[in-house]
Amino acid sequence: MIEVDNRVPLDWDALEVGEVFEKFEYTLTQEMIDEYRRGVMDPEAAFPTISHKVDVRQFNAKYSDNGSVNARCAFHCYNSPVPGRKLTVTAWVADKYLRRGKNYIVTEAVSVDEDGRLIDRVITHELKQPWEVGKKWES
Amino acid sequence: MGKLEQGFSEGDPVGPLVKEITQEAINLFEGSAGHLEPSQFTDEEAARETLGTTGTVASGRMSVSFALELLRRHFGSDVFNHSGMVDLRFIRPVRPGDTITFNGEVTGTSREANGLKVNVKIEAQNQRGDTTGVGSGSAVVPQAYLPPEE
Repeated sequence: MIEVDNRVPLDWDALEVGEVFEKFEYTLTQEMIDEYRRGVMDPEAAFPTISHKVDVRQFNAKYSDNGSVNARCAFHCYNSPVPGRKLTVTAWVADKYLRRGKNYIVTEAVSVDEDGRLIDRVITHELKQPWEVGKKWES
Repeated sequence: MGKLEQGFSEGDPVGPLVKEITQEAINLFEGSAGHLEPSQFTDEEAARETLGTTGTVASGRMSVSFALELLRRHFGSDVFNHSGMVDLRFIRPVRPGDTITFNGEVTGTSREANGLKVNVKIEAQNQRGDTTGVGSGSAVVPQAYLPPEE
C-alpha cells in the first residue's frame, strides 16, 4: 500500500511564530523507561520523555522539509513521569531566526500527565539546513 | 531529607561525568521512543543523505540527558527532578566510539522565594579535547536542604 504524504512543504518565511499544534497524547511505559535508561547508561534517569522529541513531533507531522540538526536544547524538570500514566503534550512554534544565512526554528512543548502534574518543558532550536553543518563537521 | 553542606559556592566543581558512546546506546535512545525508522542517528546511509556525513551521530538530546545526570548527581534527585534545568548548545557532533566528559562549575547563586537558585556552567568534551557542547543549568535548592545561615 502506498502511503500518501499530506504534509505541507515548509515555507520558513510564512511560518508563524506562535502557531500551536494539535495536542498529542501518549502513555509512557516501563519498557520505554528501561530502554531509555540503558541508552543513556543511567539507571536513575527520570525524564525519558526527552527521547520522544515531543516538541518537534507535531511540527514534523504537519510540515515536510529537508531534515534538521539540533543546534540547542533546553530541558526543564518539574515532576518525573510515572509509567502507565497518559501524557498530554502541547507544542508550539516559539521563535524563528536567521543567523549567518541559515534558518532556525525554535519549538517548545510542555507535558502534563493525566493527574494534571506538570512534567517537563523542552525548547529546541533546529537548523533547517542540516547539510551545512554536515559539511563543516566533515571538513 | 539530608542537608546539602557544599557545592553551592561560586567556583565549586560539578562532575565530571564520563560517557562512552556506542551505536547500541544511540539505537536504544531512539528506540525507546519508537523512532525505529532509519535516521541520521541510526543509519549511515540516512546520515549521508541528510547531513552529508560518513557516519551516524548521536542526537543532541542524548547530551542533554547526560547534562541532566551531571546536575542531578550534584543536587540530588529530590531537588533536581523538581526544579532543575539545562540549556545546551551543540558545537560538534558526538559519534559512536566517542568518550564524552561533562564538567560543570557553579557560577553563582541567587535567593528565590522557595530557596536558593544555583547556576552552573556546563561543558562537554570528547576524547580529543574538542568541545562538543556548552551551556548552563540550574536548580532551586529548597531552604530546608540548606545549612542554617550564620
